[in-house]
Amino acid sequence: MTVHSENGLTRPMLTAQNVTKTYQQHVAVNDVSLEVSQGEVVSIIGPSGAGKSTFLRCMNFLEVPTSGTVTIGERSITIGPDHKSPSRKEVAALRRGAGMVFQSFNLFPHLTVLRNVSLPQERVLGRSRSEADERSRALLERVGLSQKADAYPSKCSGGQQQRVAIARALALDPPVMLFDEPTSALDPEVGAEVLAVMKELARDGMTMIVVTHEMAFARDVSDRMLVMADGGVLECGDPRVIMKQPTHPRTERFLSAVLDR
Amino acid sequence: MIDDLLGWTEYVPELAGGLGVALKLTAISLLLGYPLGLLLVLITDGSSKLLRGLGLVIVEFGRGIPLLVLLLIVYQGLPQVELTPTAMVSAVVAFTWSAGAYSTEIIRASLAAVPRGQSEAADAAGMSDRERFRFIIFPQAARLAIPPLMNLAVQWFQFSSLAYVITVPEIMQSAYFQGTVTFDYLSVFIAAAFIYAAVTIPTSALVTRLEARLGRHL
Ligand SMILES: Nc1ncnc2c1ncn2[C@@H]1O[C@H](COP(=O)(O)OP(=O)(O)OP(=O)(O)O)[C@@H](O)[C@H]1O
Ligand SMILES: [Mg+2]
Repeated sequence: MTVHSENGLTRPMLTAQNVTKTYQQHVAVNDVSLEVSQGEVVSIIGPSGAGKSTFLRCMNFLEVPTSGTVTIGERSITIGPDHKSPSRKEVAALRRGAGMVFQSFNLFPHLTVLRNVSLPQERVLGRSRSEADERSRALLERVGLSQKADAYPSKCSGGQQQRVAIARALALDPPVMLFDEPTSALDPEVGAEVLAVMKELARDGMTMIVVTHEMAFARDVSDRMLVMADGGVLECGDPRVIMKQPTHPRTERFLSAVLDR
Repeated sequence: MIDDLLGWTEYVPELAGGLGVALKLTAISLLLGYPLGLLLVLITDGSSKLLRGLGLVIVEFGRGIPLLVLLLIVYQGLPQVELTPTAMVSAVVAFTWSAGAYSTEIIRASLAAVPRGQSEAADAAGMSDRERFRFIIFPQAARLAIPPLMNLAVQWFQFSSLAYVITVPEIMQSAYFQGTVTFDYLSVFIAAAFIYAAVTIPTSALVTRLEARLGRHL
């Protein structure tokens, strides 16, 4: 099933075509396609084990799809019987097209907040230390954490760590940002700080794919909602429409379960 | 009475030369053994089947055979293959072998203890394998590995006493020699014990503090 963006005018920023991921016998993602245009925010929802994380991680090859094509900007990799497996270089190039924010933050604990944001810029983009630091400080300011620049991650709250992780990903100037349940490990009020940063990013035109259980965020911020279950797509469309009138009984069950919480 | 209790102290200076030899044996075998351990981790995790097998044999024998036995085999065995090492060289070979095998396990465990999410974050940023190892994995693994590697050093200093069986003039060899002269074995051995404790106890305390310091942010 291919889901085209509603706004046909803008070119797709990220495309997944027939992405499948199997583990031994188990099909985690089953032939999922998605096209995300520039500036679009797509939220992915669905029950646990639906394959949301696996699908998202296939976008930057943290999981290598069993088959399918992923295109980000100009870079494209196809996995399939007629294609040779991509080189480490090609994978790294594709990854540069997407910043990723993890549920568990994954900041580098041995580096200060500033170094967390600067080091990848220096290694991956070849920026000088002073260039990188300047950019890092600007981004830390933007996520409201200038005062934490010299602290170590262990001295930051979860919400602060996640905002640093967002700054670290943004520092590489990726055209697309991928979020995998960025607030699931946080208390609701701390999660709100993170969601506020993400909302602002979306408003500034960032192309985003967000796996989330935050239904209010999905409804208010995303342009499109993708509902997954059992590795496949149940439905995809306007989040308000889906949340009001899901077409699939499975979606209905899932929505009533999360909204009742 | 006090003279009787502290009589052993007069033997401490006599054992100073032995202490120097013991420290030298410990230091050389660890300076060679730690890099050997890192090398063994790389080859036993590497792609070459032959090297992997060889590495595994070195590690398993190094850990499986008691150091005393290794020591005697090296000392008696090398001359059989037309090599005539000094006692000290034999001791260094056996101690390095064993230290390499044990540090392989420490280094491997420390690398494995760095959470998977760290690699993923480096990968997602587009770092190369080499950059990921050098800037993200290695610095964290090193903080975990340094305290147990230092504990290994403390243990190796104690084990250096085994080298007396192949006539390395370390602390116990000196102590026996003093004993044969004075027949005051107990005092001499107490003096030797004092020297070992004077090195190991402060070092261990230092390791504990270092461990807390290195682990601060992890
Ligand atoms: N490395 C793996 N090996 C084997 N099976 C896996 C692996 N990773 C994921 N799976 C399986 O794939 C399916 C999809 O997992 P995935 O993590 O993508 O689900 P999810 O929708 O993100 O769920 P959650 O909401 O719990 O995060 C699950 O059944 C999971 O057990
Ligand atoms: Mg998940």
